[in-house]
Amino acid sequence: MGPNLAALSFTLCSECETSKARAGLMKLPHYEVKTPVFMPVGTQGTMKGLLPEQLEELDCEIILGNTYHLGNRPGIKTLKKAGGLHKFMGWHRALLTDSGGFQMVSLLKLAEITEEGVKFKSPYDGSEIMLTPEKSIEIQNCIGADIIMQLDDVVRTTFQDNDRIKLAAERTSRWLDRCLRAHKRPSDQNIFPIVQGLLNKELRIQSANEHMTKDVNGFAIGGLSGGEAKDDFWPIVSLSTDLLSKNKPRYLMGVGVAIDLVVCVALGVDMFDCVFPTRTARFGCALTNKGQLNLKQNQYATDLNPIDENCTCSTCRNYTRAYLHCIVSVETVACHLISVHNIAFQMRLMRTMRANIEKGTFPEFVKTFVDELYPNKDYPTWVINSLSSVGIKII
Amino acid sequence: MHFIVNNDLLAPDGAGCERLGCLTGISKSPKTVIETPTAALMTQGGSVVHLTADVLARVFTEPKLLWVPLSNSIQLEAGLQAQGEGVAKFAGLPGHVSCATLQNITEITPNGHYELDKVPVWTKNGKKLLTAERYMELMEVFKPDIILAIADGRTSLDEGSKRISKSVDRTQKMLNVCMEKYKCSEVLADSLILGVIVGCGSEKMLEKSIENISKYSDILAGVAISGLSDGSERSFNASDKLSDTIPKNFLKVLEGCWKPDVVLTAIEYGWDIFDGSLPLKYKDDFNPILDGCECLTCRKHTRAHNLHNFDQLFCYARRHIAANTFDLFKKYIQEQCQKLDPFIVYKEESIKDLKQVDEHKKKIRTNDIDNINSG
Repeated sequence: MGPNLAALSFTLCSECETSKARAGLMKLPHYEVKTPVFMPVGTQGTMKGLLPEQLEELDCEIILGNTYHLGNRPGIKTLKKAGGLHKFMGWHRALLTDSGGFQMVSLLKLAEITEEGVKFKSPYDGSEIMLTPEKSIEIQNCIGADIIMQLDDVVRTTFQDNDRIKLAAERTSRWLDRCLRAHKRPSDQNIFPIVQGLLNKELRIQSANEHMTKDVNGFAIGGLSGGEAKDDFWPIVSLSTDLLSKNKPRYLMGVGVAIDLVVCVALGVDMFDCVFPTRTARFGCALTNKGQLNLKQNQYATDLNPIDENCTCSTCRNYTRAYLHCIVSVETVACHLISVHNIAFQMRLMRTMRANIEKGTFPEFVKTFVDELYPNKDYPTWVINSLSSVGIKII
Repeated sequence: MHFIVNNDLLAPDGAGCERLGCLTGISKSPKTVIETPTAALMTQGGSVVHLTADVLARVFTEPKLLWVPLSNSIQLEAGLQAQGEGVAKFAGLPGHVSCATLQNITEITPNGHYELDKVPVWTKNGKKLLTAERYMELMEVFKPDIILAIADGRTSLDEGSKRISKSVDRTQKMLNVCMEKYKCSEVLADSLILGVIVGCGSEKMLEKSIENISKYSDILAGVAISGLSDGSERSFNASDKLSDTIPKNFLKVLEGCWKPDVVLTAIEYGWDIFDGSLPLKYKDDFNPILDGCECLTCRKHTRAHNLHNFDQLFCYARRHIAANTFDLFKKYIQEQCQKLDPFIVYKEESIKDLKQVDEHKKKIRTNDIDNINSG
């Protein structure tokens, strides 16, 4: 028993007899999280326009904070003074912070990556910041999230230079060692290593095997969901879940579109995060089992139904599509209202999947789900193939 | 729906004209009572700015007055028509009381663009010219509990006399139309309608505007004053003029972004309702005025905090009016305002001016009370 085990215990409650789907309970210092779980992203400590109480009511058990943004605003000093992010934002349940590395990809023009770390130019004040593995962990130790991520060397998913991809995967493993050495709070924070190697199976295997030798309580699958073809995406997810320890949670980074969640749960993933539900809300898109509603469209101008009549979220209880149509992309309130619904949708989807895994009806659920989403049975090939690879035949 | 001035609670020893009242008998929500003086909550597109119904319910458990300018909500018309239950319900805020007006007076809009019988409303999609007929048609769709009659009120205090004169005339003509439409409207039978006083830049024109409105004092439930969005104390001259011609039980609405101590002076002059644009303008600067608010929601949500804080100002004001300690409360708030940054601190002279007006006003008030007592 390593010292880390106190900070996380993961119990598998049920496993699907057909696919690799599993339902588990992940006990963290701040909360017991039921998996599979979706973690909404709250970029700077608060969900855009949402209160922590609302997130609790929406059944969120764990949310994600961006280290890079938090390190800039409110800043480490403020967070230290407040006694960590939990206290600062008034969130009492589990938290996960990323390493700040992902922002390298989104702000690549501003970054220079060396063996030492990542050199940024702060978009806030233009000053140069060196983010090393040690620095990332120091910041994340201050933030105090239940799960913290190693700094990884991120290259774009669609990147073609094999030498660079190999370097990134190997460097990620070297940085993992530095992160683990720098970690000051192993008794109440868990570092998750990130399996890298983009679409290269050999590198993925090497990376996963290397990381499994470490004393850690869970694993992340990184470097996906960055614009690669879906046909390339799912085999890597499946390969990774095959490689990683069965008794530890697996976190697929940056995935959050409903069909992707269903497929990846079937492939054995336990945790997800994505800005998608809140980002799409800002563009006026509401999520339903039948797909997305773009509330800007004129067809909703006099539609007095809620976004989804089966949804019990505060938006669907109080507002019509017609009203949302009037204010969408004009008033900030519209973005909050649709975000509430979209997060409620994600949470409900995860709950439903969990319940079906527990009841042993997950394959049936998947069939119902894809039939509602693709009523004309025009299933994407990758959905058919990925599900069939784990024994779920939808056609 | 009606407005009742609670005369019993008028300060007996004449601390000013500050008064307590309430809006009751709202057909859509019979139990609702809005106590005055109060500030409305500013809405945009029908929603309280930045707050969803869910968050609003966490800040205020009781029904509030919503301020609904057409300039930012006219796009709701088609949806409202389809739904047919009025703007508050459509915007997810049933049970709250709505007050509709042409324009958010604190918005800066271009000058001019008036036509003979039309006034411009500046929306996000540009200018729309409205006649009084069209305005009342919109009111029948919006179904607000309180309507501010359409007016050509966007004149500044320094406007030329020709422009002011035109604005008074146009406003009168439009009021005539509003009154005709209102009398015939079954949909608006439960709504109150208020006349809008214009012409503040000229004493003569102001008097004329008030006179025009007083012709309809049997139909109108109150008055609002327009064209004083700069927060100047000159507005209180207008209140002097009102007291002679306008019935005492009229609801009095003051539009514009007023600093807390000016708001209290206005309350002292008998103004009942404010449009609630202040907490939006001052955002973070407003926090220290009523320090020590421990409300959890407020601490977590700055915008909600400002609203709650501003609302608390009125809540305290009402308590102090009832306890006959309003002048002390006002003094306290004035001191708080002076301690804040230069943005909110007043020039010494203007405070002196206000005090002089105060003294003058108090005497009249005392006389009034004497008259009431002796009569």
